[in-house]
Amino acid sequence: MSSATRAQPTTTQSALLRMLVRAAMPALALVTAFVLGALIILITSGNLGTVGTAFRGLIYGALIKPSGLSESLVATVPYILLSLAVAVGFKAGLFNIGAEGQFYIGAICAAFVGQAFHGLPAIIHLPLTLGAGALGGAIWAGIPGYLKARTGAHEVISTMMMNYVAFRFAEYLVSFPLKDPLATAVQTPRVSSAAELWTFADIPARLQDPLNALAVALVMTFLTYVLIRWLFARRLPHRLTRWGIAVAVGLITFVGLPPLTRLWWPFPDQYDRLHTGLLLAILAAVGVWWLLWKTTIGFEMRTVGANPTAARYAGVSITRNIILVMAISGALAGLAGTVEVLGVSICRCLPLFFSSGYGFDSIAIALLANNNPFGILAASFLFGAMRNGADTMELYSGVSKYVISVIQSLLLLFAAAPAVVRWMYRIKAERRVEEEAVAMRGWGGG
Amino acid sequence: MTLALQASGITKRFPGVLANDHVNFELEQGEIHALLGENGAGKSTLMNILYGLYQPDEGQITVNGKPTRITSPHDAIAQGIGMVHQHFMLVPPLTVTENIMLGQESVVGATQVLGGLSVLDRRSVAARVRELSHQYGLEVDPDAFVRDLTVGAQQRIEIVKALYRAADILILDEPTAVLTPQEADELFVIMRSLAKQGKSIVFITHKLREVFAVADRISVMRAGQMVGTVKPSEATTEMLAEMMVGRKVILTVDKEEAHPAEEILHVQNLRVMDDRKHMTVDDVSFSVRAGEILGVAGVQGNGQTELTEALTGLRRVADGHVTILGHDTTHATPRQVVEVGTAHIPEDRHKHGLVLAFPVRDNLVLCSYYHSPFAKGVELDFPVIEKQAEELVNTFDIRTPSINTSAGSLSGGNQQKVIVARELSRPVKLLIASQPTRGLDVGSIEFIHQRIVEARDKGAAVLLISAELDEIMSLSDRIAVMYKGHILDTLDAETATREQLGLLMAGVVKEGAHV
Amino acid sequence: MSTATSTLARRVPLRGTWWVTALLTAFGLVAAWWLLNLIIGGQCGEKCVTDTLAQMFRVATPIACAAFCGVMCERAGVVDIGIEGKLLMGAMVGYAVNLFAFQALKGLMGVEAAGNLSRWLAVLGGVIASVILAALHAVVSIEFKVNQIISGTVVNILSLGVTGYFYRQFLAENLPPGPGTFPIMNIPLLDKIPFIGPILFQQKPLTYMMFILVFAIQYVLFFTPWGLRTRAVGEHPRAADTLGINVFRTRYINVLVGGMIAGLGGVWFTLEAVDVFNPGMTNGLGFIGLAAMIFGKWSPFGALLGALIFGLGNSVTSTISIFRPDVPSQIPQMLPYLLTIIVLTGVVGRAIPPAADGEPYEKQ
Repeated sequence: MSSATRAQPTTTQSALLRMLVRAAMPALALVTAFVLGALIILITSGNLGTVGTAFRGLIYGALIKPSGLSESLVATVPYILLSLAVAVGFKAGLFNIGAEGQFYIGAICAAFVGQAFHGLPAIIHLPLTLGAGALGGAIWAGIPGYLKARTGAHEVISTMMMNYVAFRFAEYLVSFPLKDPLATAVQTPRVSSAAELWTFADIPARLQDPLNALAVALVMTFLTYVLIRWLFARRLPHRLTRWGIAVAVGLITFVGLPPLTRLWWPFPDQYDRLHTGLLLAILAAVGVWWLLWKTTIGFEMRTVGANPTAARYAGVSITRNIILVMAISGALAGLAGTVEVLGVSICRCLPLFFSSGYGFDSIAIALLANNNPFGILAASFLFGAMRNGADTMELYSGVSKYVISVIQSLLLLFAAAPAVVRWMYRIKAERRVEEEAVAMRGWGGG
Repeated sequence: MTLALQASGITKRFPGVLANDHVNFELEQGEIHALLGENGAGKSTLMNILYGLYQPDEGQITVNGKPTRITSPHDAIAQGIGMVHQHFMLVPPLTVTENIMLGQESVVGATQVLGGLSVLDRRSVAARVRELSHQYGLEVDPDAFVRDLTVGAQQRIEIVKALYRAADILILDEPTAVLTPQEADELFVIMRSLAKQGKSIVFITHKLREVFAVADRISVMRAGQMVGTVKPSEATTEMLAEMMVGRKVILTVDKEEAHPAEEILHVQNLRVMDDRKHMTVDDVSFSVRAGEILGVAGVQGNGQTELTEALTGLRRVADGHVTILGHDTTHATPRQVVEVGTAHIPEDRHKHGLVLAFPVRDNLVLCSYYHSPFAKGVELDFPVIEKQAEELVNTFDIRTPSINTSAGSLSGGNQQKVIVARELSRPVKLLIASQPTRGLDVGSIEFIHQRIVEARDKGAAVLLISAELDEIMSLSDRIAVMYKGHILDTLDAETATREQLGLLMAGVVKEGAHV
Repeated sequence: MSTATSTLARRVPLRGTWWVTALLTAFGLVAAWWLLNLIIGGQCGEKCVTDTLAQMFRVATPIACAAFCGVMCERAGVVDIGIEGKLLMGAMVGYAVNLFAFQALKGLMGVEAAGNLSRWLAVLGGVIASVILAALHAVVSIEFKVNQIISGTVVNILSLGVTGYFYRQFLAENLPPGPGTFPIMNIPLLDKIPFIGPILFQQKPLTYMMFILVFAIQYVLFFTPWGLRTRAVGEHPRAADTLGINVFRTRYINVLVGGMIAGLGGVWFTLEAVDVFNPGMTNGLGFIGLAAMIFGKWSPFGALLGALIFGLGNSVTSTISIFRPDVPSQIPQMLPYLLTIIVLTGVVGRAIPPAADGEPYEKQ
């Protein structure tokens, strides 16, 4: 019997309406989660006033207070990278819940490489450290990926186990071989300043070193080229012209930026912790978007996620893709750990009993954003702001930070089950075949 | 003459489709009533309504003179209606006895008070199964595991399952789809025996010939409506075909004579194992030349699937050689096989041929996205991809709102057209088509047959694998018959008869001798 | 079922690869050598050995309960990743009920009786909490047909959040003294059997329940109409549907029963192991239970065997840690998790789950 669903006729009006509904869903999910959270606070504190104070503290701490916004952005960065890691996995049908373990391994690799060399200029040391962290994460995720590809071992369990191994392993390394003999607390030594991620406040000082200025100029050149290729592809078709303009921009940056920043720089506060890792994370988001939707590699990954049997028929190597996807996912998670050590941590090191709790949250973010890199940017900011504001909330109202976790898990519930939200608000479901990765159905046996 | 079953004014709507449009249907006691129609006509829907799997939007059902509502299979079974589905509803890891008593389990008397947690009484059910199998001549082994049984045996179990529940009305949905012509004849004998013992039978089919063999009356459905009911003695195949499709149907494909040229595909002593480590392709050798169509006939399950998979690089070859255009592709990857010049229409379009969640545009480049002009290095060139997609949609008349519609929203016929368009848009030296028209409406079937012949005329070698004997006979230049992993014989299509082929499909090589 | 793995099945040999078997053997040999050393060196005598083996059964209890929960759900076709969350929730609720019931009851009936009653009430509380989470998973995945792995993860995250919150609000400090964990229940006569007695018959109640459960589940699954229907629903739900079996109802009930069993496993943490609750104290044992289920090929006795293997790994490494304090504790602590991964890679051969496992059922 022929398929019962046929293409529905679409009018512009109904299309617009559908778009509105689609945007409304996450908003509704958000509102509902917060309302339920408020209810929990009300019930456990027995006092309506506490709810008000709690939310006021939350918003104040997240956005309004001095350096509140920048702290929220600082908290956002690891979320972006971790959620990208999870999303890449999802798109290929793989469930990487080992992001937290890969985060640790990346952190420890970065903590080690960051302090293992002395006297290297930043232009070498920083990329080296970032690379080490990404590589560590890639390997840590690549192992379960390899096992899945060759033996079918289910990645939910194997990545989860790798998490626990990572926690213990990192604990061991920080407590014994990599312990900083000079510090009172149990932690790794401070990374050399050349390996640190610059804070925005620090940039003018950093730029005085010509090698650093060169590094920035190179980055600007590359970004300009990409931008030109994307925006002015038709007006400037010749490679030579594009590179010419890009190099010109790079030269101007090299010569002009250092003195310019000494004259005027919008980030004067030396205590402001906002660091360039944010730029890295945004670049990563764009990179993931480009990879998944604009390249043959990404096409293969998504095909494997949507219909692996058809992917085989199309000639895609499932083994290669599983390992590749896990490695990329792990690299992103490792990068998140690296950023944590090099940019977020105050000691520029990895301490013992460092508990991030980022891991599961990033799954929620990826689902909330429907695995879309730009949605991930937005949702990560939401989570980062909430996490940041939670401290102030606790300070003001005495309500434990964990209520944020509860709200976030409710958010995840509604994100994963939009049908639940629809059912609550009696919105009719639309019949669409959306591009969703079949993030595995079961254990894949037989 | 009492009516066992009467359905009047049955109407059923699905989103976008009117599956049954005020359908009237009558089943007399003790008759075998054939329900004929092409794929998508609404026959299965009607029967599913009678079995309680769907609820009609309008209409009335009367069983044995009493108006009734059938809201679930439970009700249907209670009213004495049993159904044998086209895709068997048997649980493979369970035994025959367990499958038969499922849902109506007998328990050891002493433990009955425990309800759902009482002890199963397998022995008495097995005894009853043996009783029934003797009474109706249906050979079944109560203790066997269903997954170890042949298709014919499984079908017999389905019938016993219905009889175990004291069904007086039996609905058989496309029962001969998985049988050889001889096994189908055996089934007809069983059906007549059942009818003689008072059972009333409805059997759904889209094969014109069968209705003449066994039906007392024939009802034809088309596009959700009941077109008419005739007696076999008053009807001809042409008349029935016209009732089924609504216009004059050319029952044979118009094709010129074949002019085979050089050898394109050569298969030598091929041996392939299936997932359960059985040698399902056992020492197969054949070749296909440019400009000819070699049809492989045979009931599904005799190794055709594994053969196709081995040829296209999806399954490991245990022994033997495959050569395409002089290249040894025995151990090639699917991509390498494609790059040699092979096009492949897979037998399961949903699982293998398409990514239903992707748009039509992406599905059309599924095999060629990685090289120019669709990709520059690692980057996809979307303007080129979209242009290609638009062209193909036009050339192949694919009905879709846009190239960005997801493939899953298209009808079966259009989905198959997407696959055919994709495969035939490349320069093709070898076309391997597996069950290319399964489940499609007549219009799509005609279209695809034309395309296959066109490919042949343009010089491609075509390997056609199909369980539909009519399709094989009308398209092929030569016909090979596969049985239990061997090619028993290869006949010239012009001179081969249905009887000859039927015997080969059942494993009979010479008169009376079984392989 | 079109998953990446089943398509791999066509081309990749999936027996345990030789190097994995080698790894496992190496691990086993090293652990055995260490242990043997202790025994030969006189440091670990018969008491030490029986203690280790008894500990194996103890640690296996929550793992086995998790595995049984998985078996009940997956035999009916519902994948349950959220067992870890159920264990955690059961642990916290059990702990809380134990404390507060004790406070409420000790005035009424004396300390000892109140202690006993409050512990059993705590078991009930933990089971109910776990069933609520199971109901959430069931509704979201059966009714709303959400991907079951995602829905299970939701349960895990929700549980982490809720237990953390309630811990911080109520359980972190200023707690009244509670009645403590279950005392060991010696089975009279049987516990005097040499060697076996102390291992099997000097355990706490939940461990005994685990023994009973394995037989009960085996019986239900393979000898009763309910088990037959469950297995049919898990392998071929449409076939079951055409025979009048209510697929949804069967799945709901199995998931809820699984939730009850997981609740028993959860309260083990705070009512038998230690008398305290820490956020995240389940430490992955729920996932190890899932691995045990796969190892046991979805059968109760097999799952128990798997749980015992992990329990053994755990108890042997902790025995070694006691006698060899020079080895940093983190190293042996990693081993049970590594063992899980090794087992998962099919050392014991390909495990085939129920055919409809993980697929939401759509009535057409």
